Amino acid sequence: MSDISKEQILDVIEKAKVVNNIHELDASVLFSEQDIDSLDVSGMLLSIEEAFGVEIPDEDIDGLLTINDILGYVNNKIK
Amino acid sequence: MIGIANIGIYIPEEKISNLDLLEKFDVSVEFITEKIGVLHRARKQPEQKASDLCIKAFEDLKSKESINLEDIECCVVVTQNPNFNIPHVSAIVHGELGLSEECASFDISLGCSGYVYALSIVMAFMQANGMTKGLLFTADPYSDIIDEDDKNTALIFGDAGTVSLLDTEATLVPLGFDFGSRGSGYKGLMNKDKLYMNGRAVFSFTATVVPPSIRKLLDKYGISKESIDCWYFHQGSKYIVDTITQRLELDENKVVFDMYEYGNTVSSSIPLLLSNDIESFQTGQKIVLSGFGVGLSWASAVFQK
Repeated sequence: MSDISKEQILDVIEKAKVVNNIHELDASVLFSEQDIDSLDVSGMLLSIEEAFGVEIPDEDIDGLLTINDILGYVNNKIK
Repeated sequence: MIGIANIGIYIPEEKISNLDLLEKFDVSVEFITEKIGVLHRARKQPEQKASDLCIKAFEDLKSKESINLEDIECCVVVTQNPNFNIPHVSAIVHGELGLSEECASFDISLGCSGYVYALSIVMAFMQANGMTKGLLFTADPYSDIIDEDDKNTALIFGDAGTVSLLDTEATLVPLGFDFGSRGSGYKGLMNKDKLYMNGRAVFSFTATVVPPSIRKLLDKYGISKESIDCWYFHQGSKYIVDTITQRLELDENKVVFDMYEYGNTVSSSIPLLLSNDIESFQTGQKIVLSGFGVGLSWASAVFQK
């Protein structure tokens, strides 16, 4: 399976209406520094789990602090 | 047919402001208002117990309905924070109200799904035993078990009590129910000396099981989503109510939200909302109730005026 792109991740989050203006966020900047709170992150992760069929256990979420973190994590999971 | 005739409520006067806790929990005003949806949490007095909340709610019901205590044939309390492990709270309430010795009394141990489960249980119990009048209380004072330093729970839960008069002369009658359980997820919300909640797990559970439960319920009874006049979801948080609303693609003007001034009152949340509207429903109007949480468990129902 080919790698999932950043755009695909953002499209899933946008379609789920979890976060507004997701495409305007900086993929390398912490969510907490871009007004994305813990509930938003829970919503994002759920939409990604559902869209890509991956399970993201609680013990892994401490390392998912940016969009790039999520992108790398999901691509690692699907390999 | 037995249904809900009227509802009495009790919300304690003392309110704890979440706006005083912004710095402690490093959250913004927007988070409190737009995500949690709780500005103030109602807090009972420390010496008040579940039975006291029930009695207060009954006093409110009595102000709305003429009730002959001798006619009450069952007295049920939904709670998971009883006065004592033994006896059941409904026995204490039965005694304090001076109900007839012919009256059945029992508790139902459920949390946020409790009111909807209890409606089905008690209505069926009454129907099967030829009863015509019963009292269904909800009273789950979480302030007794909250860790005030736990960001996951300290901003959310409030205390309240309600009582629904179930009667053959009803305002709202049931059209159908849907129930479910996910016991494998019980650790997501439990009391281990203090309340523990895995917010992410409970959110994911709720977002993924409640919409399908409601769709299944409506399909089973051939009811369209568009024909529902009002949606009453358990007030877990604004975020979860908004998420369910969005996932079901509902008209948000039909989804009731009203927890800003008292918080998540567990099994009391749905009857608190209903109490505001019960006297204004028009004949033929249909509503959906859906409770979900501790267990993990859920229950949804369609009622009609």
